[in-house]
Amino acid sequence: MNKKKHLFAEDSFFLSRRKFMAVGAAFVAALAIPIGWFTSKLERRNEYIKARSQGLYKDDSLAKKRVSHANPAVEKYYKEFGGEPLGHTSHELLHTHFVDRTKLSS
Amino acid sequence: MTATTYQPGEIQGLIKINASKCKGCDACKQFCPTHAINGASGAVHSIDEDKCLSCGQCLINCPFSAIEETHSALETVIKKLADKNTTVVGIIAPAVRVAIGEEFGLGTGELVTGKLYGAMNQAGFKIFDCNFAADLTIMEEGSEFIHRLHANAKGEENAGALPQFTSCCPGWVRYLETRYPALLPNLSTAKSPQQMAGTVAKTYGAKVYQMQPENIFTVSVMPCTSKKLEASRPEFNSAWQYHQEHGANTPSYQDIDAVLTTREMAQLLKMLDIDLANTPEYQGDSLFSEYTGAGTIFGTTGGVMEAALRTAHKVLTGTEMAKLEFEPVRGLKGVKSASVSLFDTELNQNVTVNVAVVHDMGNNIEPVLRDVMAGTSPYHFIEVMNCAGGCVNGGGQPIEGKGSSWLGNI
Repeated sequence: MNKKKHLFAEDSFFLSRRKFMAVGAAFVAALAIPIGWFTSKLERRNEYIKARSQGLYKDDSLAKKRVSHANPAVEKYYKEFGGEPLGHTSHELLHTHFVDRTKLSS
Repeated sequence: MTATTYQPGEIQGLIKINASKCKGCDACKQFCPTHAINGASGAVHSIDEDKCLSCGQCLINCPFSAIEETHSALETVIKKLADKNTTVVGIIAPAVRVAIGEEFGLGTGELVTGKLYGAMNQAGFKIFDCNFAADLTIMEEGSEFIHRLHANAKGEENAGALPQFTSCCPGWVRYLETRYPALLPNLSTAKSPQQMAGTVAKTYGAKVYQMQPENIFTVSVMPCTSKKLEASRPEFNSAWQYHQEHGANTPSYQDIDAVLTTREMAQLLKMLDIDLANTPEYQGDSLFSEYTGAGTIFGTTGGVMEAALRTAHKVLTGTEMAKLEFEPVRGLKGVKSASVSLFDTELNQNVTVNVAVVHDMGNNIEPVLRDVMAGTSPYHFIEVMNCAGGCVNGGGQPIEGKGSSWLGNI
């Protein structure tokens, strides 16, 4: 009959008590969050998106002028300074170019 | 030598995950349009800067408020407001006026244009409504679209690519620049309203304000974090270039000097003890606060298209649209499309214009782009906004309609 051998060692668990609690908390949070959270989050989000959009549509319906070409300040800008849409000054000041960022390197 | 998707001088890594707060819950990944967030579930996450558009959708949707911005101009703006030699121009984006009230206890979506003007005036800003610049954008971008449409119909050379994409949204522009450079000719060359506003404030505005352009400090108030990155693009110093060509000799300055998000403007007003909710209304101090209904709806998905159609209709047919509300481009469907038939007085024939509106870009844009690249897209004009719902739900807006994260710290 073999003599039973016992190995004694220091606690080899690799986490401190504090770290273990933190990991546990993260695990619980991860369990709590998934699918139900995401759908209800989207519903709430869509609610405030709609409320804010309604605010802007209200601003539109209240406006004295509702089309850009009838904005007297815009008219004044072109007359006194900017010339006309797509004109020389417009190209200089109101238009831009874009950058192929796949080719950028430092 | 490492490749990067940034030009020299641009703000890199604007959005950052705070490792000590991140619980690895993966919520942010659901909202990232470019899959730029790395890290296994349960492990601390991080953001791939080269893929990141700085849109801030992860930031406003993180349940632990573990995601932060690395750049804030708040201190600089407060210093400039106190400087007597500087005219500080506050450029207010459309979506700010229906959200900033939430930070002062007002209802979600409450329209507070007059109060916001009043509060910013008290703080020392000149009022420049970005809606004025949005109207300018329609004039430029709409004219460009009509030009492309006519040139293509007549079969001209260098007619310009169709469909034309809108170029107001910096997240969308960066998406195309980093992923689909072949489609850049389809983007409207019109600057975004923010950049038009900055340029106009320092050129025509310098005459209106009777100020030297280098003493004008432009602060835009945006529902958007990506606007900070846009303002830092090195080519956006066109007011400076303009003045150099007209004999000035000064060190370079940007068209937009500082960008504050809606949240940061609320913070600034609170720091200055200004309660927006109880501020008397103010009308503005120059022609730059005059705007139209078309300019204001830029802040919601479909708004740019609706505004452009109102003006295009007038230019093409010579008459105003009978009903200005254009319902097919409103609402939260991922891709909205519509066909508009009208009599084109220049071509002297009936034309049908097919338009599409895309928002919540990460979930909706790919099939649209595939069609455009294959040459099978039925559309002539496409509006794209990165954020779901458009700018009203931008990464710089008050969080959850209330102004703080919903779980707090665990």
